[in-house]
Amino acid sequence: MRWRLLSVVAGWCIVAGAWVSAQAPAAKNPLEGDAAAIRSGMGLFRARCADCHGMDAHGVRGPDITQVWANGRTDEGLFSTIKNGIAGTEMPSQPRLFDHETWQLLAYLRTLAASTRAEAPRGNAENGKKIYQANCTSCHTVNGTGGRLGPDLSRIGAARSREVLETRIRGGVEGFLPGFEPVTLTTQSGAPVVGVKKNEDLFSVQVMDTRERIQGYDKATLRQMQDNPRSAMPAFGSNRLSQSDLDDLIRYLQTLRGFDPSVNN
Amino acid sequence: MNRLALLLVIVGTAILSAQQTPPPALVTTQEIAEGLPRDGSRWITFGGTYSNQRHSPLTQITPANVKGLVPQWTFQTGTLGNFETTPLVRDNIVYITGPQNTAWALDARTGRQIWRYRRELPTDLTACCGLVNRGFAMLGDRLFMVTLDAHLLAFDMRTGGIVWDATLEQYKNGYASTIAPIVVKDKVIVGAAGGEFGIRGFIDAYDAQTGKRAWRFYTIPGPGEPGNNTWAGDSWKTGGAGVWVTGAYDPDLNLLYYGVGNPGPDYHSESRLGDNLYAASVVALDADTGKIRWHYQFTPHDVHDWDATEVPILADITVAGQPRKVLMFANRNGFYYTIDRTNGRLILAKPFVQTTWAKEIGRDGRPMSEAGHTPDENGEITCPDITGGTNFWPPTFDPSTRTFFVNAREACMTFYAWKPDYKAGERFTGGAGQRFKSTTMPVYGALRAIDPATGERKWEFKYLNPSTAGLLTTASGLIFSGDNDGNLLALDSRNGTLLWRYQMGANLHGTSAVTYMVDGRQHVLVPAGTTLTAWALPQ
Repeated sequence: MRWRLLSVVAGWCIVAGAWVSAQAPAAKNPLEGDAAAIRSGMGLFRARCADCHGMDAHGVRGPDITQVWANGRTDEGLFSTIKNGIAGTEMPSQPRLFDHETWQLLAYLRTLAASTRAEAPRGNAENGKKIYQANCTSCHTVNGTGGRLGPDLSRIGAARSREVLETRIRGGVEGFLPGFEPVTLTTQSGAPVVGVKKNEDLFSVQVMDTRERIQGYDKATLRQMQDNPRSAMPAFGSNRLSQSDLDDLIRYLQTLRGFDPSVNN
Repeated sequence: MNRLALLLVIVGTAILSAQQTPPPALVTTQEIAEGLPRDGSRWITFGGTYSNQRHSPLTQITPANVKGLVPQWTFQTGTLGNFETTPLVRDNIVYITGPQNTAWALDARTGRQIWRYRRELPTDLTACCGLVNRGFAMLGDRLFMVTLDAHLLAFDMRTGGIVWDATLEQYKNGYASTIAPIVVKDKVIVGAAGGEFGIRGFIDAYDAQTGKRAWRFYTIPGPGEPGNNTWAGDSWKTGGAGVWVTGAYDPDLNLLYYGVGNPGPDYHSESRLGDNLYAASVVALDADTGKIRWHYQFTPHDVHDWDATEVPILADITVAGQPRKVLMFANRNGFYYTIDRTNGRLILAKPFVQTTWAKEIGRDGRPMSEAGHTPDENGEITCPDITGGTNFWPPTFDPSTRTFFVNAREACMTFYAWKPDYKAGERFTGGAGQRFKSTTMPVYGALRAIDPATGERKWEFKYLNPSTAGLLTTASGLIFSGDNDGNLLALDSRNGTLLWRYQMGANLHGTSAVTYMVDGRQHVLVPAGTTLTAWALPQ
């Protein structure tokens, strides 16, 4: 009886062990540096990731992911992020991606990350926060506080490189994230509605106006609908923001690495 | 039970039977061949008829009254994944297939379920592009459906029970099946997908009674067969050429017409030098034997994943004063083709969207290819994009106005390629594409009406985003479509004027509306996302 019990327990342990090994990813990428894996990973990356993260992984709609290891992420954690996605974001889960394909992807991403030089941080985050609160809070949310017309910046430090942030703040980038395209509607009464487009089809448009009212409009009832070529985000040239203040602001933005409900701004 | 009671039961049953409307006879091949033109009250094969015209003779709903359509019922699948199917309707019952090889029989009056089927699928499926299914075929009292693990099932139409289960190929080797079968005479015609997994594609015929395979046509010729020399080395063994969209059938010529998928690996030219027959072609097969009678290759040596898996439409029309038996084909490569279906000769071909890889098709039927459109590691920009000028969503044809309708896409893409390694059952594409938006190459869609005798556009209705909806036309002059933002649309098929719309909450991705009669009222049935909604005019 005792032997039988032991064998049952041993059998269960083997089964459980196999289950754990089938479920849990290796802590370290077993394919890192493998030339064939990197080549396959490049294909997977371009097919599945590049649309949002860009061919160079520096971010388009999705974040810059060349700095993920530099920011402290682990192979194991990244494996899980790729497989499971990130709830509440556009990052999808990939339930049908095989484990070895996930490792191939990460092996390739490593080569992109390696070619990106990590810059030494500069600037004063404390002063940067003051600059942010004076100039950015009215439109951008951080940790639940701030305006809603612009994108939430609670994790912008993990999502965008310093270079991209600088260009964006200086106003050198055209184009808008989906949901933030500036638009002006003219209603039948002649009153303009200025805001950003949240959605649109042939017959209707959904807008957040500058008072942050969200509302849908039937296009047939509008006198005019004008897409604005310039972003609602003002350009902060060197006459409005010195290089030193820009460094401080970016230093502060770099500290923003995810929504933190305990932070009270 | 004593004798008197038994007698009463028999007499009672006889009286009850006499009071009921006798059920229609079992589905015959004759009924399928006659199709829609004869009887628009039901929809019994994928394209409405073997010709795939999807043109209903019903006229109760008209351009004048279509604004009055009201929903009669909505059915929800309760599954993950979306419809990509054409429902069949007969004797007031809807038969519809859903994602992950689910299927239902529903009361066409109320949308209430009569039976449901769900296949237990393996977890390591290789189906490339969604766990979808494109519909049933029917014959006798049976339904036929293919599966994602590459089987063909025969169902009892009344219960949803499985009658037989035939294996097409081993799914572990990259085969899957999503096509709506058609029944021709006593055979069920199907194909297998897997062009991204290094398969060797085929079209199969199975005995509808027994499930025994009657013939197989490999879409890539073997050694010694004509066309094998269009594949360098052993590349024919893993050349893809899947068949995942339903073809047409001409009963008079006894020919099947099927579009064949892309060659594999999809993007890497050097892995398979040559024309790569019969990938990216339409093939005409003898329906009794599966022997090839002719082929026409739309895209020789395709390197942009332009499967020729669009739905071919057959019609008899006058071209340049001559009556012609034609096959009409709007291809993923951006060209519209009118082909003589008796011999496969090209009558005309014209771009129906922007095409940068070739501006015209030469007199010899081959595209006059432009330089610089072979993908490599650095990428090259080509229009149309990977999804193509159109794709598997069904077009339609109105014979009364001689008009071919198609939901067209205007989009370009950067294509990349690199040398891949083949491993059985794994993706084998050798490249990728990346979409982009630019002011010089805007992305949009349009419903386009094309004259098949000239290739000229009669009208278009523009969408904000490219639509993936299939189409339905009716003899009253309506065309039903959908945009990519979830709007179900009814337009005047003569001029493209929008007449009616309804926000469905999901686009008609790869589905088409069908129409039928219940209790004297014309219904329009629309699968979209996870719902199926029936519309009719108020009583």
